[in-house]
Amino acid sequence: MSGGIKSGLVLLVLGIISGLLLASVNAWTDPYIKEIELQEQYDALKEFYFDPTDPNYATYQVSDLYDLTKLDVNEGSISTILVLKDKTSGTLESLAYVASGNGYNGAVTMLIVVDSDLTVRGYKILTQNENPPIQEDFINYDYNVSAITDLSQFDAIAHATFTSNAVLACFNAVSERAANDFGGGLNE
Amino acid sequence: MNKLQNFTKGFIKENPLFVTVLGMCPSLAVTTSLEKALGMGMGVFFVLVLSNFIVSLVMSNPKIAELVRPVRIPVYIVIIATLVTIVEMLMHAFLYDLYKSLGVFIPLIVVNCIILGRAEAFASENKPLDSVLDGMGMALGFTGAIVLISLFREILGAGTITIWGNLVLNLNFIFNFLHIKPIDLFVQPAGAFLSFGLILATLTAIGNSFKPKSIVKGATANE
Repeated sequence: MSGGIKSGLVLLVLGIISGLLLASVNAWTDPYIKEIELQEQYDALKEFYFDPTDPNYATYQVSDLYDLTKLDVNEGSISTILVLKDKTSGTLESLAYVASGNGYNGAVTMLIVVDSDLTVRGYKILTQNENPPIQEDFINYDYNVSAITDLSQFDAIAHATFTSNAVLACFNAVSERAANDFGGGLNE
Repeated sequence: MNKLQNFTKGFIKENPLFVTVLGMCPSLAVTTSLEKALGMGMGVFFVLVLSNFIVSLVMSNPKIAELVRPVRIPVYIVIIATLVTIVEMLMHAFLYDLYKSLGVFIPLIVVNCIILGRAEAFASENKPLDSVLDGMGMALGFTGAIVLISLFREILGAGTITIWGNLVLNLNFIFNFLHIKPIDLFVQPAGAFLSFGLILATLTAIGNSFKPKSIVKGATANE
């Protein structure tokens, strides 16, 4: 057997062992990671409905106010939609979208909450891997988006084109479907 | 070299950061707080000890070593990348706040020169136990070094010491007593280089003070 084939086989075997090991660790950690991500979405959502300075803030839950349903859609840039309906009438009040766009160092994931009148109740960066100087600037940045159907006033961050585009992609993805979702898609 | 020397040489004599000046990129980036430095130290400890052990185990078997030797660098990288990915998944699942604050610097442990350097220079030519001791010593030396830099930067730059999570020591009373404010520059990227340079210069000066004067003069003349 030639040296090249031997080397290829060594790397192939190592790759298979490595893949199996990673798959088993992933299978073990994945439920924990999913739980953390869901909790983070709920925590982010809570900030838009309760006052964080309230001494009892930690005890409040959005599910106390609304019927909260989680939909895993995985359509385009949108992975999850949290549906908030009035507890008594069942009217669709808000939709919280988990959307992602490609930043400079991979995906930037955002939670964007849209009310039934298509105004943006709030948005928050959930996950990102941007470089530190940009990272600190863009997380709490005001992107100047108040209505999801009108992104013309979107305010990008200077010197961070990739990151701004990722955030804009998240808003665009929500903008494309929000009206339809409220108009009938999810309003049932 | 005996086992104790294998273990302790990474602390000062061959400290990966202050003597061989390896693994600078994550070291300077994550040293804005003690918590991040400890988190990075933990990650590097796990990867370095296990990669040294696995590489040594593979290379100590003559038949396997013969097969691996022509492609040893890709093999080391696959081993290190696998271990780093495991660290990343474990941190994501169980130390989420730390995972978020270290961000991109966790996967970048793969390209940390200390780890590949020890695999090639030490683990491939020594027994597994010696390699584990070497990895532990080097990882502790690295952790000690980034802890020192992070303390320097965080105290001067923010007036605090973030030990873990919400456990923060506030030292602003010292700054208030002196009627000055923390110097923000030290927690900025430029401050990382400045801090590293100052600490390295101080340690070199201390090291030189212990050497006989003729050796120090000779070294200066050679430069």
